[in-house]
Order: sequence, then C-alpha cells, then structure tokens
Amino acid sequence: MKAVDFDYEQPRSVAETCRLLGETGREARLLAGGQTLAPLLAMRLARPAVVIDINRIEEFQGIDAEAESVVIRACTRQSRALADPIVQSRLPLLAKALSFVGHVQTRNRGTIGGSLANADPSAEIGLAALALDAEIEARSATASRRIPIGDFFISPMVTALAPDECLTVVRFPLPQGAVGTGFREASIRRSDFALAAVAVQLVLERGVCRSLAVSLGGAGATPVKLTAIEHKLLDTRLGDAELAEAGRLAHDAIDAVSDIHASAAHRRRIAGALTMRAIAEARDEALAGRA
Amino acid sequence: MIALYEPAVGRRLPLIDGIEKVTGRAAYTADLRAQALVGRILRSPYAHAELLGVDVTAARALPGVVAVITGEDCDKPFGVLPITMNEFPLARGRVRYRGEPVAAVAAVDAETAERALALIQLKVKELPAYFSAETARAPDAVLLHDGRPGNLLREVHDEFGDVDAGFAAADIVREARYRCAEVVHGQMEPHAALAEYDTERQRLTLHSVTQVPYYVHLMLAHCLGLEESRIRVVKPFVGGGFGARVEPLNFEIIAALLARAALGTVRLDLTREETFLTHRGRPETEIRVKLGMTRQGRLTAAACEVVQRGGAYASYGVITILYAGALLHALYDIPAVKYDGYRVYTNTPPCGAMRGHGSVDARHAFECLLDAIAAELGLDPFEVRRANLLKTPMQTANGIIVNSYGLPECLARVEKASGWRQRKGHLPSGRGLGMACSHYVSGAGKPIHRTGEPHAVVELRLDFDGAVTILTGAADIGQGSSTILAQAVAEVVGADLGRLRVIAADSAVTPKDNGSYSSRVTYMVGNAAIDAARQLRDILVAGAAHRLGVQPERIERVGENFRAIGSNDDGLSFRDTAAGALAQGGSITVKGTFTVPVEYQGGKHRGGAVGSTMALSYSAQVVEVEVDIDTGMVRVEKVWVAHDCGRAINPLAVEAQVQGSVWMGMAQALGEETRYDHGLPLHVSLLNYGIPTIVESPPIEVHIVECLDPNGPFGAKEASEGSLAGFLPAVTNAVADAIGLRFCDLPLTPDRILEALARRQRDSRIAAARGAAS
Repeated sequence: MKAVDFDYEQPRSVAETCRLLGETGREARLLAGGQTLAPLLAMRLARPAVVIDINRIEEFQGIDAEAESVVIRACTRQSRALADPIVQSRLPLLAKALSFVGHVQTRNRGTIGGSLANADPSAEIGLAALALDAEIEARSATASRRIPIGDFFISPMVTALAPDECLTVVRFPLPQGAVGTGFREASIRRSDFALAAVAVQLVLERGVCRSLAVSLGGAGATPVKLTAIEHKLLDTRLGDAELAEAGRLAHDAIDAVSDIHASAAHRRRIAGALTMRAIAEARDEALAGRA
Repeated sequence: MIALYEPAVGRRLPLIDGIEKVTGRAAYTADLRAQALVGRILRSPYAHAELLGVDVTAARALPGVVAVITGEDCDKPFGVLPITMNEFPLARGRVRYRGEPVAAVAAVDAETAERALALIQLKVKELPAYFSAETARAPDAVLLHDGRPGNLLREVHDEFGDVDAGFAAADIVREARYRCAEVVHGQMEPHAALAEYDTERQRLTLHSVTQVPYYVHLMLAHCLGLEESRIRVVKPFVGGGFGARVEPLNFEIIAALLARAALGTVRLDLTREETFLTHRGRPETEIRVKLGMTRQGRLTAAACEVVQRGGAYASYGVITILYAGALLHALYDIPAVKYDGYRVYTNTPPCGAMRGHGSVDARHAFECLLDAIAAELGLDPFEVRRANLLKTPMQTANGIIVNSYGLPECLARVEKASGWRQRKGHLPSGRGLGMACSHYVSGAGKPIHRTGEPHAVVELRLDFDGAVTILTGAADIGQGSSTILAQAVAEVVGADLGRLRVIAADSAVTPKDNGSYSSRVTYMVGNAAIDAARQLRDILVAGAAHRLGVQPERIERVGENFRAIGSNDDGLSFRDTAAGALAQGGSITVKGTFTVPVEYQGGKHRGGAVGSTMALSYSAQVVEVEVDIDTGMVRVEKVWVAHDCGRAINPLAVEAQVQGSVWMGMAQALGEETRYDHGLPLHVSLLNYGIPTIVESPPIEVHIVECLDPNGPFGAKEASEGSLAGFLPAVTNAVADAIGLRFCDLPLTPDRILEALARRQRDSRIAAARGAAS
C-alpha cells in the first residue's frame, strides 16, 4: 500500500512555508526527515492534502552558540547535531539522548524539530529538551511566538503548535557551574521505542545539589518533569538514601500505560531504577568536573 | 585414480549466489517482471463461525475487477500430509481463525482490488472460539473438525523400557512444568506468488517463495484438478524459509485459482501482516518433564508430556507432536523413556514446522530440569552429560541408528573455550554461565509420499562448452544448498568450480526433489550428487585412458588435467578429455540417486518413521549472560557453541548456519512471542514482534566438530538446525546462575524477570518476618 494522492510543495524560505501553511481549506503536513511521516503516508494512516517539503530551506538548518543559550534550527539532522562540537561541549545531555534515537540511518535523515513536533511520547529529544528547559520558536504567516517546552507537549502526537504554525528553532539555555548530566533508557531492542527513559541535568556547588531537572518519558502520554524529585533532592548531597527516595518517587509519580511491549507495573519499576541511575550518573559527572 | 588438485570440499567458499544477493541483482518472486493483475485476499474477521454466505455480487460488478473467487471455486482440501488434508484454500462452510482466507479478487490495480474486497458481504453464525489448548480440550467444547473428539489432532503415547522401574531405581526424581510461547519464523521476504494461466493450452506456471516446489506442484494439481504435466513450478531467489514454507500454503493455491478464473496472470504479494497470519510457526507448548537420576548423575528414566496449541488446521501437526517425543532419544543414553503428546486444534492460525521442528521446546524443558537436578546434587552440568553419553554405534529404543556421535568432543570444546572450570561460580553478581546440549536429524528417513522413487535425484550434463551443469530440484532458500552441491560435484569430478553451473528448482527443467526441510538436502541430495559425479568422472577417466592408451586405474589428475601415472607431461586438458568423450555420443548426461536404506527409516511402532534419520548432528553450547536486576534486561555477553556436522563441506557456510541457529534460539528465548486478543493477532508487525536486530546479536564463537558419518556425503551431516534448541535452556540456566532464579516460562522478558525478583524479595521479607515472630 502506498500513500493517497497529495499535492507536493517545495518552498524556498521559512516565510513561504508559513504562507503555504496558512492557506486554508486543505490539510497540510510538513516533511522534514520523514522518518515518521513517510511510513504513516505509506500506510495511509496520514492522508494530508498537501505535503510541504522543507528540506531545501537553508534558514532551517544549523546550530548557533549564543551567550547564554544554544540555538538549533528545526531541520537540522539528528546525526549532525550529535556530531556537532557545540552540542558535544555545551549540551552534553542532548548528545547523550541523541545517541539513543533510532539508528544511524534514521538519524541521518531525522531532524531535531521534526522529532519535537511529532511528539512521540517515547522520543528522546523531547525528553532531553524538557530537562534542559528549552524553548520552542513557532511562526505563522502573521506572527511568531515562543513556547516554553513545559507547555509544548499536550498528548501523544499532539503539541501546542497551531495548524498554521511551523516550528523554526529550539533554544536551549545553558546552565552555569559544575554541571552533570545523565540519560538512561530501557527498551526491548536497542532501536525500539523506550519503555521508559530518564534525562537528568543538575548543578553541584561543593557537592551539594543546587539545581536539578529530572524528566521521564516513554511511560505515559507525554514526557513529564518529575518536580517532586527535584524539590526533595535539592540542597542534598545526592547520597544513596536520596537516590533511593528519587527512585520511589519516580515509581509512584508516573502515570504509566500497559501495551503489547510492557505492563504499566513493569514501566513503573524500571522508571524508578533508571531515575536512580541517571541522577547518579549526573552527580558523578559533576563531581568529576567533566562538564 | 590419484587426485592432485585443490579439493573443493572443506573450502571456506562464499555462497555461489551471494553476488546477486549483495548487489541487489537477485530477483525474488515479488521482483519478477510480468504484466499481471493484482490479487488480494479477503480474510475472516471471525475466529470461529459457520460461513452461511459470501456475497460477491457487488465486488464482481466493480469496473476493473477481473475475477472474484470464494470457497465455491475449490472443494478440494489441501495439506502437506496425505493423512490430514483438512484445509481449503478459501474457507468453505466454516472459518476457524481470524485471518483465514474467505474470498480473493484479481483486479487491474491494487486500489480496485481493495475496493472490491470491501464490497464482499459475509453472512455467518459465530461459534465459541478457543484460544488455548486447555479451553479447546474442555469436554463441552465445540469441535473445530468433525471426528476429532477433544479437539485433538493426534495424541501419542509411547513407552520404551520400564519407566516405573527406572524411577524406582533413582536416588532423586524431580518433575517440573515448562511453558514456551508460540513463535514464528520472521523470514525477511514476505510471502508472494506469481501465477500465469495459459488459457489456450490450459497450462499453469507458478513462481513462489516455497521451500518445497514439488509439494506445491502436487497440491496445485489436486486443488485445480489439473494434470501435473500441465503445471510448472519455479522457485526464484528466496529470502528465508526456516520452515514457514515447507508445505503448500493457501496463497499459492489462491494465486493459481485467481489466474485461472481471470484467464491470465495474477500477482499475489502478501503484506507483512498477512505473512504473519499465514503463520506455520512453533506452537505454544506446555511440557511436563520428570527425570530420575542416581547420585552419580546417571539418568535412570525420563517421562515427558507435551501439549501443543496447534492452531486451526493440521499442517505438519502430527509430525511436530511425534518429533517432540522421538527426539527425547538419541542425545543421551536413557534406560527408559515415556512420552505422552497432545496436539490440539484451536482458533488461531495453523502452526507448522519451524527450525528444529518439534524438538526445541521439549529439549528446553529437559535440559533445564537436568541442570536443576545437577545443581541439587552438587554435580557439574558437564559431568552429568558425560555420565549419560551414548556408546555408538548403537540403535535407540525407538529405532534410531546412531553411527557418528560428536557430542563428547562438543562438550570438551565449549567447556574449554568458555573457561567453564575456572569461571563458573566465580563471576560477579548478576553474571552467569549456563550450558545445554541438543541434536537434530539429517533428513527424515522416510519420505512423506511413499512413491517408491529414490529419495533424491541429481542430474549432470556435460556438453560442447566444457561446462558441467548440475540439475537439481533442491530449493536453495539461503542455506546454501546450491553451493554445497557445486562443491560436491567439483570435488568428485575434479573440475574447477568456474566450470560448474547449478540450475535448481524449476519443474520444467530439474528433477523432482522433496524440498528443503528436515535438514535433508546436504545429506540426501549431496549423496545423489556424489553418485552422479562419480559416473561423470568415470566416463571422463575412461575417455582419457583410451586416448592415452592406459588402463583407467593408471590415470592421475593434475589440476583439472588427466595424465598417465608416471608420465611427466601435462596430460589431457579437461576440455580435450570432454571433447573426446562427447565424440562417443554427444552431450553427456548422468543421473545420481540416493535412497535411505530401510533400516534407517524408523522403528516399527506407530509414528516410528518420525525421528528416523541416517545421522544426527550434535551440539553443545555455553552462554554467558548479564542480568540487570533493576530493569530485568538479560544481555547475552557471549556464546560458545560446538556443532558436530560431520565433514564441514563448506566451513564458512557451516559457521553462518550455526550462528543463525543460535541467534534464532536467542530470539525465542529472550523476546519473541505471538499475542492474540480473542484471536485477533496483536504481534503482526516487525515493530510489535520482537525479532532481535544485529545490535542485540552477541558474539557467537562457533567450533566445528567433524565426527565423520560413515554414510554422509564426504562424512557430512546436518548443520542448520541442531544448535537452535540448546540455546534456550543454556540461557535459562545462565540466568539461574546469575540471579539464582530458575525460570520455567519463555520468553525471558524483562517484566517476567523483574516480577520474579520482586516475588523473591517479598517472600524473603515474609520469611524474615515469620522468623522474627517465632
């Protein structure tokens, strides 16, 4: 089975993309890396009237270091981001997360913005973005706005983007101090969707945790911030007792789902274990002064 | 005759059809160019129902639809075993599983065919449906097939030796129940068939993905009411079989029926989902094993009960349930063995033959319990095996003759390579080592159709061009049969491999072959190839001797050349020798045959033909695992496997086959499992059915053990199946070593492992609390 008939547009600029999206009367889908859209089209699970291919637009590509943040444009390939020295040095959590995204082959096509806009509950990039407190820039033909990542994911495959809006840029703020990051994921096969995944970024000050972000994905409808853990562990030295507490909180906090791949109970169990490991990884990294 | 050329047998040759495959030039069935109509199948949405009517009026009326067929169009049931042909290509009167074909359409394009399917109306009366062996066997269950009380396709009750006395003589008797999930082959290439009906001449040509072109040929003739002479079956490149295609399948017959109804050519390419639905995999199986042992580790008796959820139709079910019992024998020396088997009809897709056919789940249970008893007695698992070795040559109680038995060497090889003695029991927590053994037949001794013909035939032709053409019906499905036959002929004829050409599996050209199953091809067709090659060699040697004026015994070979012993010249070239021989009567054709002698065709008891063979492969393996006790993930760190395949005709191919077996065993042990919700299959995609990828593949160190078989071609035996079964228990035993928990259910999924760990923790807390209270 192949796709239903659709119109194909190949705009040359962000402005033209937004104008096409703004044309009313026909359902449009943006084609970035196509790693989700292409199979959905082939299986006719997606039946858009028009496919807007944004792969040739220069403005959509690239990674820029700013004073207090790193900006990644929407259509930047995941493999390029993973290999990028700015990402490697300043956004180590994103780099760790990217290595879990699909395979080398899918990362060569898949994009940063495409993954975010697709909002798969088990996607790693959104999970890391949540822990990093990223900000999404969205543009329509008439306006642009910034959406905090915490407001971006609504439900599985649904985001705060309006039908006429296009994700242009993701902005990752840079933390200061002795930063450590941790990323842990469990899946049946390495390339499978995560049964649960945890992203952590923290800052230590003389061994005491002064800032902590823990996000968990794969287990529920959207990635979630585990703020209860953040509050509980702030200003501690992240010892064994605190980690165990974090594991318990993660286990209890999440709204896990059962499906063919794993039961909800199993997801909760591994979420707890992964949380402890990810925090420990981040703590040890901060103590070692690697970040 | 003395040979001085480089031998072809024993060389690590890449497969002769590998270039086509890696360059993408190989044409698989779905790649074949043809002006064809598109076929589509309507499948039952009911798990069990009386089929009261199939209304195709609207579908027939749709423009672009050329043919619509239903069960009305074929009243001949098909099936691979002549005694259990109970499946119609399109259901008649009753549907018995969700996904069973009910009607089919041939149309000008896929969209039209899909639209036509949607216009077909089914009228049914639903019946109670059974998705487990237990519910299907209940006394009040509706019968899926008339005359099969208890929904039993076959029950088997065998006892060899005095089992009660054996258990009485044991120092320890233990019993356990094991459950193995249903698994399917997951071959890469989805099912496909291309049927061309020549209306004027009433001839049919079918290209299909089959492992058994001959059986497909027979069933096409039967179901279409055509004489065999009007049918041609061709097997193009095939992307994997593993047993999924060792019987005629419904889509092949449907494609032919559609082509005839449409008076033309129909392409029927199944989706991945439909390929899963066509099934024929390994059944969900429950095994109860009871073993008796002396304190020294000597087995005194074994009893085994096997229940298989067979699915809706017979397929190979009778053979599968018999194999499970028959292959309890011939691995170890056990004085008494009792077996009870039950093959049950259920409202799920039909199971069939799958790599290690019938032996795998029962072997898993046996080896797990053996390991548990060894641990209880404080005996090393290797020593327990060594205490129960066969003394060969011998004949087992169920009539299997064992002439070559490399198990002792297999044990020695993997014990040493894995560092078992130094490392077992000294690994860090969460790491473990486990081992197990397994075996498999080299071709079923008795053929399915007892026609009196030889069991294998190979023809060779040598013509003016100096090329030797090998004509064989053997189906190369990626296992390398064409390569092995070329090596065998090259070896015997003393011809360069570049001179050889293999033409295989086209009924218009090649001699009949029963097909690629039960690991029969190397052994049987290989022997037939040797027979043919000897005849061709003798003709050439006689010709050369005549030309050189010496007796044939005085001919020696220098490379391809023929020379009189004692002379120092180059002798006669292959071309000159061939030209001389051709001058006597033109194109030289010879035919070699092979038939399994009757004493190797099995015991006299009912079902005794199953398990019969001329030789068995033997295998031992050690698996090392790391178990993550927080996530329940089992990681296979390394596998050491030793496989006794007799002479390794092509060691490179043997290693790949053994790795494939181990890997497939790993897939079953750790992740694969079909799932149904009221008969609705949930697993029918590569996303939901957990076939491991190359990333999950552990290093598999293959040790080839060459315990030559006196009757095998060059001493060769089976290489493609025997190492599968051993992986399941070896990894389960390794997990037991790693975390102290013995699992009885497969697959060993992370949730199963975490659940068991949590239960143990709870139990120990309760025990501690009780201890404190008392």
